[in-house]
This record gives sequence, structure tokens and C-alpha cells, in this order.
Amino acid sequence: MAEHHENVNGKLNQGLIIFILLAFLTFIEYMIAITNQSLLLLSVVAVIKASMVLYYYMHIYKLGEMNDELPHSSLEWKTSTNRFGFWLFILSDAFLFAGLLTARFNLLGYTRPDLEQFLGLIVTSVLLVSSFFMNRAETQMKAGNVKDFLVSASITTLLGIGFLAGVVGVEWQHAPFKVDDSAMSAVFFMMTGMHAFHVLTGVIFLLIVINNARKGVYTADNYWPVEAATVYWHFVDVVWIFFYPAIYLIGRLV
Amino acid sequence: MNKPKTSFKKAVVFYLAGQVIGLIFGVLIQVMVTNTFEPKYFWDLASWLLGVLLSLLGFFYGLVGYYGIVKGLIYQVIGTLFFASLTTAIRWMAGMEPFDMNTFIFTESAWVTGALGGSIAFLAGVGALSDWFKWAKGEKTEDHRHDLKGYIKYFGVSLDHKVIGIQYTVTSLLLLSTGGLFALIFRIELSAPGLQIMDTQIYNSLMGLHGIIMIVSILLGISGVINYLVPMLIGAQDMAFPRLNAFSFWVAVPAAVLLLSSLALGGFDTGWTGYPPLSTRAPLGMSMFFVGIWVAGWSSILGALNLIVTVLRLRAKNMTAFKLPIFVWAAISTSIITLTATQMIGLSFQLVVFERILGMPFFDPAKGGNPILFQHLFWFYSHPVVYVFILPGLGIISELLPVFVRKPLFGYKWVAMSSLGIALVGFLVWAHHMFASGMNEYLRVPFMYSTLLVAVPTGVKFFSWVATLYQGKIPREIPTPMLFVMGGIVVFLLGGLTGPPNATVSTDLHLTDTYFIVGHFHDTMFGGYIFPFFASLYYWFPKATGKKLNERLGKWHFWLMTPSFLILTLFMMRVGLLGMRRRIADYDPLLQFDFWQLSMTISAYLIATAVIIFIINVIITVRGPQNATGNVWRSRSPEWQVPSPMPAHNYDHQFQVVGEPYDYGLEGSKYVEFMVDDEVKNG
Repeated sequence: MAEHHENVNGKLNQGLIIFILLAFLTFIEYMIAITNQSLLLLSVVAVIKASMVLYYYMHIYKLGEMNDELPHSSLEWKTSTNRFGFWLFILSDAFLFAGLLTARFNLLGYTRPDLEQFLGLIVTSVLLVSSFFMNRAETQMKAGNVKDFLVSASITTLLGIGFLAGVVGVEWQHAPFKVDDSAMSAVFFMMTGMHAFHVLTGVIFLLIVINNARKGVYTADNYWPVEAATVYWHFVDVVWIFFYPAIYLIGRLV
Repeated sequence: MNKPKTSFKKAVVFYLAGQVIGLIFGVLIQVMVTNTFEPKYFWDLASWLLGVLLSLLGFFYGLVGYYGIVKGLIYQVIGTLFFASLTTAIRWMAGMEPFDMNTFIFTESAWVTGALGGSIAFLAGVGALSDWFKWAKGEKTEDHRHDLKGYIKYFGVSLDHKVIGIQYTVTSLLLLSTGGLFALIFRIELSAPGLQIMDTQIYNSLMGLHGIIMIVSILLGISGVINYLVPMLIGAQDMAFPRLNAFSFWVAVPAAVLLLSSLALGGFDTGWTGYPPLSTRAPLGMSMFFVGIWVAGWSSILGALNLIVTVLRLRAKNMTAFKLPIFVWAAISTSIITLTATQMIGLSFQLVVFERILGMPFFDPAKGGNPILFQHLFWFYSHPVVYVFILPGLGIISELLPVFVRKPLFGYKWVAMSSLGIALVGFLVWAHHMFASGMNEYLRVPFMYSTLLVAVPTGVKFFSWVATLYQGKIPREIPTPMLFVMGGIVVFLLGGLTGPPNATVSTDLHLTDTYFIVGHFHDTMFGGYIFPFFASLYYWFPKATGKKLNERLGKWHFWLMTPSFLILTLFMMRVGLLGMRRRIADYDPLLQFDFWQLSMTISAYLIATAVIIFIINVIITVRGPQNATGNVWRSRSPEWQVPSPMPAHNYDHQFQVVGEPYDYGLEGSKYVEFMVDDEVKNG
């Protein structure tokens, strides 16, 4: 039992370290943007950040753990099948966001809208912190600690709502253009809007999972919906890892 | 559940009543809104379509009572009105103009939210979401649901992949008839120069709808065949996610309703491609078209997801990659495309809808937008999707040919890899649709070469078929499925050979937007989809029903359809080479295309007659006795080793793979072996 406990603490510490690294890389990203604007460096940092989230927060390596020998009625077989299907959905959704990025670079090229940098950094940080708590929540659920899970997941949800308020309530109102002004305004509202829609669905997903966890539906061995909500939430974060530089940092002002 | 008092007679009465009531209502609404009544084309199109909707509703109500699809359609109408009114109320409160008489009372934004909300309401009404709602509330549901007895199960949500496969196939055939009907209508217009029976707006709408409804029909037909066959071929009880499977089918139904409604709501004049800037200015029907395709896209995406998981997780023992039936390889290849690329057409259509209702100028060059962007996003899906249309068909050809010539499939691994190869190369060729669009010129040559590269894996398939036929035991009296397989090979060869002239920049600049292109893709679609689809219907009909389709009528079907079809497309190519433009309602009499166009119209009607013969054949056979419950075609495939029709969870005993799938003609060789002591536990 003690060993198990230590393991949980190790996992939590790992989540914290990854969070600190991600925050540091975001800061580096920002510094690159205000100093030499290198598209290459910004892309490299974004890819590193995304890979870290994919591996340490989304546990993409679990996809390799599919065992065909298990009986199809076993929980492990069902969970790994569900996981595979869910990742295919994530892949499909990623193409939507890749399409939006294509549209952004096709229409705006090496220019960017004149947005409040400080605000961008704040909403990015809010989403990053929410990812940290989401990782905590999943780790605690895996340890069977429903009470701590509920706390962490609720914080995540609140931060998600905070992100939505920041983007839709503040950023959209402060934007220097209206929806129908130019291709630039259209791209800005479409990208942030589509991402915000995904954050909203993630919040709804989390509320459902929290409600069910409160009722005691999930246990340490059987918590696939929690894992799915976690993977979805981190995926939305990964999207923002690419959207943040694409909207706020890359290109010159016009 | 009490069985409602329903009958076919009642259905027909309700059908006629619905048509009349719909017409009267449509005319009344028109008189109330516009204060005039001008029946333009015998009767008014919108009223007529309202009549069609109500009569279908009445027909289904008479047939199955207030259940399944009837409930869904009623929910859809209520949901559409509810969400449209909600948007109108919000607009009114925000101080915007709440109504717009140019777009049928509601504003366009209200119609779009209504269309989306109505689709979700349909799904809730039909019952495709009920288990998921229970899961969200933390309740448990049964793993398997028991279907209702009799034909009623086809009209509501069923989780059985065979039922869903048949639902898909029948819906596909209905849409095929609808799309074909539109073609027959505008073919009359084209049979002579001058405008005879319609104006250009209606012509354009019908032509665009013919294209898109055929595409949706093909997508559903493919899903139908895949859904029905793949779990049986790989020895699974069902798809990996049965509820998602049901959802994928049912989401296509409101999408089809939306597509058809576009005709009543002003139509659209862009053709099925919906290019901006024209599509940003088209009537309201354009938005219904976009939203309809967007909703239908979810059917493709989720169906593909389900299929990939099914094949990777639910195969029988020892069924390794190169022991899979070849059709499964084709299904996997198409699913890779639909899973990923479909998002791009969804996005491109979504961007146009946002430009239309919110004025976001993605495609308006005056405000920094770029119409070429739409074409890139659009063709990134819409070119690979033609491989989605043909790959399962080519898979069926490769699957059936060895059965009929009693010889192994030549070069199994090459054929399997060629499906995957076509799918993957297909991602890199989209811009060959844009040689004349004004995109960057340096993109032309790379896309020309990548397009020509597709001919290599396609050629592999042809060599395999020819080598399989070589020295094969071709039966003296060729059975109907094999006729369609052979017809498919010939027609697809014609379609394939007319491809490279369109892929080569120098010749394409002449051929772009002419009837040559129309002839080319009808050849590929018929050779790659229609012929193999009919082959598979004739071949697996006994599996689904235990009854074999009439051979005599089947031969009539084939021998009437094939020559008519060849005349149709070859004449299309001829007039195209001579300068006949596509997508136009009229042409110059001095071009002297009268004879060719009239012949094409007659051929089109002969094809329609052939399809009617097929439908009569199906009706006669379904009413007849079960006469083919055994291995009708002497196939080695596992589904034929058990009696037809299949029980609800497929195999009573699991099988394992013990040999090669296509070793026809080899003494004592077996593909699968049933494990007697390993009984499958159902439920």
C-alpha cells in the first residue's frame, strides 16, 4: 500500500515537472516572438510542447498496450478498444484544426492581428494550469481517490470556464476589428471560436464525469470516461499550443 | 410493446393523403406570405416538396405507426421550427431584423440553426441517443438490445450490423432513385437546344442535387455493404461500437432531408462543388445544401472510425494482415480517407456558411479573402473521396472474381497493397482539379505527376484481374453477379483510360469543364461503384434473405444497362471533345449536338428502366419462398459456410483461419475452420 502511495506521489510530481517545463517553454516562445520572430524556432518549441503533452499528459503510449489475447468481455479489452476509437476521433478532429491553420497561413501569410499580448499570455496560462489540474485529477482517480479527483477536476472545469470568459468575454470585445471587417478578423474569430467551442464541449464532458464520479460510478480499475475526458481536455490544450503562436506570435503586424 | 395496427394499404392511403395535404398547405403558405399564387411548373415546387415530405411521413406512419423514423421526422420538423424561432427571438432581442421575407420568413441564420437543431432532434426522436443519455446520467444499459420482430425493426434503431447494413443499402437505393430522377428530368431539358421545360435556376439546382445526392447515395451504399459484410468476413459478432454504428446511419437521414429541402428553399446554382464567390451569393437553398453535407459528413467519419477499430480488434483467430479478405483491405483503405479528409470538406462548407450568415470574408478578395483557399480545402476531401467510391467496388471485383473462375486471386499481396497505395497517393493529388483555377502555376506539374502515379496501383489491380481470368473456369452460363463484375472491369477500364488526359496539364486545359470530364467520371463511378454494387447485391442477396434473385431478370437488367450506359458516356465524351460545356442548361443549335444529346437522353431512360427491372426483381424475390439457404456460389468465405440468413449475432461457433483466402481449385484446402467446442456466448 505504501508503495502504491509512493507511486501516486511520483506520478503527481511528474505532472508538476512537466507543467513547469511547459510553462518555461511558453515563456521561451514568448521571448522568441518579441526578439527575433524566428518561425522555425517557434514551430520547434510548439512541437516539443505538444509532444510532451501527448506523451506525459495524454499517455499516447497506452495505444500500444492493446492485447488481442484477452477475452472480449474483459474490462481491459473493452477499455483499450474504446481508447483506440477515441484516439481515432482525436485524429479526425485534428484534421479540422489543421485545416484552420492552413486557412490562416493561406489568407494571412506572415502577418498577424494586433491583439493584446498580455491577454493572450494570460488565457494561455489559464489553459496550461487547467491541464496540470486535469492530469492531477486523472492520477488521483487512478489511485481510487475520488474526493481529490473531484477537487482537481472541479478546478480544471473552473479554469476552463475562465478561459472561455477570457476569450469570448474579454478578447473578443477588445479585438481591434469586427467579425466582417477583413479576412484577418474572420480567421481570428473562426480559430478562437472553434477552439472555444471545443473547450465548451470539454467543460460539459467534465461536468458529466464529475457528476458521475460524485455518484460513485467510477473506481480505480474502471474509470474509462474519466480518461476520455482527460485525453479530450489535453487535446484541446495541444490545439491551443499551435493556435497561440499562430494567432498571437507569428508574423508581423499590419 | 403492442404491435400497432399497420398495413401496406394503410401506408398507401396515408401517402396519398400526405401528398394532397402537403400541396394544399404549401399553396396556402405561399398565398399567405406573398399574396399571389403563380403555379410555375404545373405546380409549385415548394408545395410539391412539402407534399413529398408529408406523404413519406404518412407512408411510414401507415407502415410502422408512431415509431422510429416517423418519430424522428416529426421531431426534426418541431426541432427545426423551435431552433429557428429561438434564433429569431434572440435576433429580435438583440435589435436585429427578426424576419426576412426573401428567405422564406425566417432569416438565414435562423434556418441554419434550425437545420442543425432539427438534425439533433431527429436523432433524439428516433432513439439513437437514448443509451448515451443514460450513460451520461451514470446509468447502465444492456450490452445487446433485442430487435423487434418482422420488418418493423428496419424502421427504428437497431444495433445489429446486418440490420444497419440493410438500412444503409435501402436508403442508398432510395437516394440513387431520387438522384437518378433529377437527372432524368434535366436530361429532357438537354435533349434539344433551347429552354423547354424549366428555367436555368431550376436546372442548376437539379443538376447540383443530382451530383450531391448521388455522392451521398454512394457513400451510404458503401457503408451499407461494408457494414453488412465486414463483421461477417472477419468473424465478429458485430461492429466494435454498435451504438455509434446506429448513430452513423441515422445521422444521414436528416442530412438527406436537408439536402432535398434545399430545392424547396430557393435552390442553389453552383453545382455540387459550391465554389465561392458564387455560393456566397446563392439563394437560401445553398445553406441547406452545406449544412446537409456537413451533417452527412459525420456519418462517414464515425462509420470509418468504427470500421477501423472493428477490423483491428475483432478479427478471428489467426487472421493476420495478409489473410484478410481483400474486400476488408479495401474497406480499411477507404476508411483512412473518410476518417481524416472528411473534416476538410466540413470545414470548407462551414467557412462559406459563416461568410453567408455572419459576413466573415474568407473568400472575398476585396477584403483580403481568397476563393482558391476553398478549392484547396474542398478538393483535399473531394478528390480522395472518389477513391472512397471506387475502392470498395474494386475490392468486390477482386473478391468475387476468384469465386466464379475457381482460381486463386492473382497477386493477393499486391492487390491488398494497391488499395492502400491508391488511398495514400490519393491524398497528394487534389490540385489537379484546379489547373485552370488560377492557383500558383508551379503547383501544376507536381500535381500532374502525383495524379499520373495513381495509375500504377490501379494498373496492378487490372493485371491481377486479367491474370485471375486467364485460364480460369469461366462458367458457360455466366451468373448475374459475374456479369456485373465483368461489366465493372470494362467500364472502369474506360474510365481509367480517360483519366490521364485530364491529369495532364496541357490536355486538361482544353478538357476542363467540358462533357469529356462528365463522361470520364460517370465511367469511373459506374465501373468502380454501380456495377460492383449491383454485383454485390446479386451475390449477397441470398445471404441476407435466403432467397436468390431471379437470374433472367438480372440478365435483362445487365444487358439493358450496359450498352445504354456505354452510349451515354461515349457520346458525352464526344460532345465534350467538340466543345460542349458542362453545367449549362442550353447549347448553341449550330454546334449540331441535337442527335447526340437526344441519344444520351434516351440511353438515360433505358438505364432507369434497367434499374426498375432490378427493383421489380427484388420485390418478386422477397415475396417468394426461401430457396437458397446454402452455399449458393460455392464460396470459401466464412459467411457462406453457415446457412442463410445469418442469426442476430452471426456465428454460433467461432472460426479460425487455417489457410489462404483465395485458394480456389486447390484440392482439400480450407480458408477457415469452425471451432466446435468453443461456443460463442451471446449477450
